Amino acid sequence: MSNRPGAAYLTGALARLRVRRGRGLLAALGIVAAAAMLGAAVTVGYGLATGFERTAERADLPDVIARFDEERPARVDERVRALPNLEAVSLRLEIRDVPIGAGSRYTGDGVAQVVREGRRGYAIVEGRDLRPRGDEVVVESGLAREWSLEVGDRLEVGGLDGGARVVGVAVSPDNVAYPLAAGPRFYLSNEGLLARYGDPSGAGFGEPPVNSLLLWTRDPDRLEETLTQARAVSYGITDLRFITRSGVQVLIDQAAGIVVALLVAFSLVALTSAVLMLAASARADVERRLSTIGVMRAVGFSRRGVAVRHAGEAALVALPAATLGLAIGWLIAAGPSADLLGAINQLGPGLALLPLLGACLAGIVAVVCAATAWPAWRAAGRAPAETLRGAELRGRGSGAGRFSLRLPAPRGAFGLGVRIVAARRVRLTATAAVLAVATAVVLLMLALAALLERLAEDPGTLGKRYELTADASSTSAREVRALPGVESVSPRYAVEATDSFRLGENLQVIAFPGDHTRFEAPPLAEGRRLRSSAEAEIGVGLAQALGLGVGATLATQLPSGEETRFRVVGLVRALEKDGRVAYTRPRRLLAADPSIEPELAVRLEAGADRAVVERGLAAAGALPQVTGGASTSNRSFLALLATLLRAVALVNGLVCLYALVQSLSLTAIERRGTVATLRACGAGRAHVVLVLAGAAAVVVALAAPFGWALERFALAPAVAGLAADYAELPLGAGGGELALVGLGVVLVAGAATALVARRAAREPIVRGLREG
Amino acid sequence: MSILSRVTVVSARGLVKTFGRGRAARRVLDGADLDVAAGEIVAVLGRSGSGKSTLLHLLGALDRPDGGTISVAGRRLERAGERALTDFRRRHVGFVFQFFHLVPELSGEENVLLPGRLLGGEAGAARRGRELVERLGLEEVAGALPHTLSGGEQQRFAIARALVNDPELVLADEPTGNLDAESGAVVLQLLREIAARDGRAVVLVTHDRDAAAIADRVLWMGGGRLDPERGSPPRALRVGAGAA
Ligand SMILES: Nc1ncnc2c1ncn2[C@@H]1O[C@H](COP(=O)(O)OP(=O)(O)O)[C@@H](O)[C@H]1O
Ligand SMILES: [Mg+2]
Repeated sequence: MSNRPGAAYLTGALARLRVRRGRGLLAALGIVAAAAMLGAAVTVGYGLATGFERTAERADLPDVIARFDEERPARVDERVRALPNLEAVSLRLEIRDVPIGAGSRYTGDGVAQVVREGRRGYAIVEGRDLRPRGDEVVVESGLAREWSLEVGDRLEVGGLDGGARVVGVAVSPDNVAYPLAAGPRFYLSNEGLLARYGDPSGAGFGEPPVNSLLLWTRDPDRLEETLTQARAVSYGITDLRFITRSGVQVLIDQAAGIVVALLVAFSLVALTSAVLMLAASARADVERRLSTIGVMRAVGFSRRGVAVRHAGEAALVALPAATLGLAIGWLIAAGPSADLLGAINQLGPGLALLPLLGACLAGIVAVVCAATAWPAWRAAGRAPAETLRGAELRGRGSGAGRFSLRLPAPRGAFGLGVRIVAARRVRLTATAAVLAVATAVVLLMLALAALLERLAEDPGTLGKRYELTADASSTSAREVRALPGVESVSPRYAVEATDSFRLGENLQVIAFPGDHTRFEAPPLAEGRRLRSSAEAEIGVGLAQALGLGVGATLATQLPSGEETRFRVVGLVRALEKDGRVAYTRPRRLLAADPSIEPELAVRLEAGADRAVVERGLAAAGALPQVTGGASTSNRSFLALLATLLRAVALVNGLVCLYALVQSLSLTAIERRGTVATLRACGAGRAHVVLVLAGAAAVVVALAAPFGWALERFALAPAVAGLAADYAELPLGAGGGELALVGLGVVLVAGAATALVARRAAREPIVRGLREG
Repeated sequence: MSILSRVTVVSARGLVKTFGRGRAARRVLDGADLDVAAGEIVAVLGRSGSGKSTLLHLLGALDRPDGGTISVAGRRLERAGERALTDFRRRHVGFVFQFFHLVPELSGEENVLLPGRLLGGEAGAARRGRELVERLGLEEVAGALPHTLSGGEQQRFAIARALVNDPELVLADEPTGNLDAESGAVVLQLLREIAARDGRAVVLVTHDRDAAAIADRVLWMGGGRLDPERGSPPRALRVGAGAA
């Protein structure tokens, strides 16, 4: 066959689309909306879900980072070379609190990483890597972004005469980015500094010391073995701490993990509802064309021919619409999602997103074609006469009543609208379902935003019942308690430790003398509260990571190298540190390492002014700090997240609007005869609006409670579980969100009604009477 | 009736209506004149596509003429605003269609009450609606949905709906076109009564000469104009036969 029939077919299909421009446009809009939702979800979800791995890959992130007190490089090197399973090692000197500046910007918190020959563990995203010269610097992308630094700019660095020229911008996912991280990182070449300044220590080491190393293993699965061996040969090297690649990921998760997981979970929900929408609208489109199908069959089209033709026409609409929608969704989500990734030092997926979006495109077109072809196939299976008669009956406005519910509908035009939509139960159900899902997702997004705010602002969300902490070295608990407005005070010990058996697993041991639940009370998931200093309650996150349950023994290695053991008596749903926490009493900790210093947890009296107490503490030299919620207390970061959530909610609001407009338009198109009859009887535009308002009201009245229930009883628990099954996330929408969404739905319904009524009331009555 | 028959309800002059543009333009009405008095029933005959429905649409303010003047019940329609036309349709004109156009979700009686109650029309409409249902012999099926009714019943409900707001003018577009002979005769008899007994002006469009026989006057639509039908038989001779 030549392509002539194909071309003729295309011409024919295009001509039919032109004739049915309104309907084609409507179907296309639906696809655009669903595709936009999908595009946004995929952009956010994929970018975040794969961000760490992708960046770790590109940055050549080591399997282990070890930190220790300054040491001669030769000594460290000699020990490390003996380790089994070793592929490569890089030594570094990390110098904190370096003053840096550029233009009018300045900070005293700079973190200099003096790197040596060998693998870097960061990815250069702009410019080039360091050469062994003393006047070059590579800055982390967070600093470049925040200070608008570009390759070629000068960075003033305390101790470096004349500063250094920025030659490159780097990303390393082993920490979050500045300003989310307190100190901005920059990299200098050890060889370069030596060449320029000579031995900076002047202490005759021969070369500058190092205090950290990056370690790559040959077989990451045998990491534990390497770490155990490293411990064994580490005598003489003090304050040794390891962090593994998976440990890094956990640390990053503390900053953004829950949100990332929530967004990924949301993407799944969005995906499902997009498919639902596409299928529903494609179905509705075929329903409207039953008579055409009857005619096609009557003039001799095969059943397959009918289905294929319908699928082809659907593809013709779906392809450009889905492309447009995916592009819109990507445009809306790409910016905020890139900002979020940037804040946690992760690279965007870039072109890797394209095949995925391409797959989405193919998927959408396939779903639309299938959802069109299937009902067409079924309709074409009926006798043509039956299809024709069915269509004709409906066309004359006397068949639809068969399906009508005899509702006790209100009288008047409004009530008529109610009855008209109630007559098409399948469509009503589909529309209400789409609207309900979209409403539920919007509710979820808002609840999520509210939760984030509470996590940041309200320590109570994390089970923390103290409002302030104070430095215990300059004041005593007694002095603090004496301050007006203070209800009670307790020392709080917090120690970063690792599991003795799995040195890569980090946890935080938190200890209060006495009843810790007076100060920190994460909900108990299993077992009981602790009663002695030999016992511990551990977070569900830790229990999952270590495979521990009630009755097991938790063996921890403290930074000093000492080991302490606790019997696990309870599991708690702690959100902090991904649930990798253990609560106990301080006695055993202090026995193992008497140098551990507590801080003071300060509970305020009900109604006390926090600022007043803060001033009192400051006056006593106790460096008060407001207890934050989650570790992400950074406001700009939260603003980023809020933007992202809002973008997602916006897309969903548009979906609501579309679902309603589509349903009302279908009703108005289908019932143009009825509308024309009403107008011939003297109905004005206001009456047409009322009829459509009645129709919209039914949909909304069905969808709103269902959407609420869906969020409350299905989405919120599911998403909270997917995001953090180790903690209880109160994701149910509150009164404020419900009111907002209720108002939004009413506004959307009003807008949809107005839009459709405008068109319906403009159509010539005569045409409605002829075609209806 | 004798005094009413002199009151002119419809007066249309030089009506022009064109559909399409450029070379595809078609002048469907081209200077049509029409007068209908109260209590008079005028039949318009013509070939399919000659512009009969178009004429009714103009008279009923469902569409606007491109030229000419229309006055119905003392109101000039060709220059009236949309609001005035909506009000006009509600109060002064009633339509009866070939395909009935009952709202399928509403019972027969609710359809009758539609222009009055649903649209907040005149207060007396509800009472009149019930009277009409009774008068047209529809009480038994008043609560039934249209699809359960026969064509004749549906059309009688449609006629009741056209009358419920007490309009001066009733426009019927092939009202018997979809009915069997017997139901058609009943409908025609009703229209006759509406004119004769209630004193309304009725314009009946049909292509059926037998149906036209009930009219006081029969006009022929052709070439976009209305002309008296030559050789139309006097009503008195035919009405009995038509109703039989
Ligand atoms: N809205 C319209 N647009 C285009 N052509 C129309 C329209 N309404 C009527 N026509 C054309 O005008 C002519 C007269 O139509 P109509 O008045 O319905 O004829 P009939 O005498 O059969 O009732 C027909 O050729 C019809 O196709
Ligand atoms: Mg006609």
